[in-house]
Amino acid sequence: MDIEYVDINEDFRRINLSGRLDTAGSEAIATRFAVLAASAKRRVLVDLTGVNFLSSMGIRSLIANAKAQQGRGGRLVLFVGGNAAVAKTLEATGIDVLIPMFADAAEAEQAALA
Amino acid sequence: MNVSAALAPAVLSIHAAPTEARSASAWLGAETNARGVPEEHVRRLDHCLDEALANIFAHGGAAGRALPVTVNLDVRLGPDGGVAAVTISDSGIAFDPLPAMSTSKSRPASLADAVPGGLGLMMIRSYSDSIGYRYGDGRNHLTFSVRWGAPA
Repeated sequence: MDIEYVDINEDFRRINLSGRLDTAGSEAIATRFAVLAASAKRRVLVDLTGVNFLSSMGIRSLIANAKAQQGRGGRLVLFVGGNAAVAKTLEATGIDVLIPMFADAAEAEQAALA
Repeated sequence: MNVSAALAPAVLSIHAAPTEARSASAWLGAETNARGVPEEHVRRLDHCLDEALANIFAHGGAAGRALPVTVNLDVRLGPDGGVAAVTISDSGIAFDPLPAMSTSKSRPASLADAVPGGLGLMMIRSYSDSIGYRYGDGRNHLTFSVRWGAPA
C-alpha cells in the first residue's frame, strides 16, 4: 500500500491511497494518514481509486479522520472513481452515508470545497 | 445424483501474530486458485480471512497467542458451481460472533455517532454466504463459506 498527497492550495489537500488496505496495510499507514488528513483544518479529498482491498481497519481510519476533520470545521470526502469493489465495501458497511462518496472527480472536488 | 467433487482440503498453521495475516492470504490465494475457485469469490474469502484473523489477534488474549492458529480450506465443485469454506481454529478466549452478527445493529446516522465497533463482523457477514461457529477442544472454530453458480 502507498500513501501520497498533493496540496492543491493552502486549504485543500488531496490524499491518494493505493494498494492493499487489509488490516496490516491499514495499520502501517494509519499514523501518516491521520497526520496528513486530520492535523489541520482543511478540505481533504481521499482518492481510493487505486485501493484494491479495503478492510474494516482501513474504514476505521477513514471514519476517525473524517470525524477529526469535521470536529475542526473541515471536511473529508471520498473519491472512488470506477472502483466498484471499494464502493461496494463502503456501501455494504453504510460508510457512504457517513462520509460523502463520489464516483465523479469533479463532483468530489466540488463537495470537498463546498 | 450428487456429482459434486470434494477436493483435497488444504491446511495452514500460523503463529497467532498479525504479521502472519499476509502469508495466510497468500496461502489462501494459491490454494483456492489450485482448486478452481473463481477470483471474485476468492476475494470474498480473502476479506473474511483478514477480518477474522484481525479479531483473533486483537481479542484472543494470551491464551490465543499460546498455540498456532490453523486455517482449513474445503472446496467442493459441481458441474455448474461450487462451494468454498474456510475454517479458522484458535485457542483464544471463547467468542461466538453469531449473536453479535444477527443483532441488527442500526447503523449510525451521522459521523458524530459512528462508533465503528463490530465493523469486522459486519464485513464477514456481508462477504460470506454462510457462517458457522462452534467451540470444542478448547478452541474456537469459525467457518465462513462462499458459493457460486449452482453447486450440486
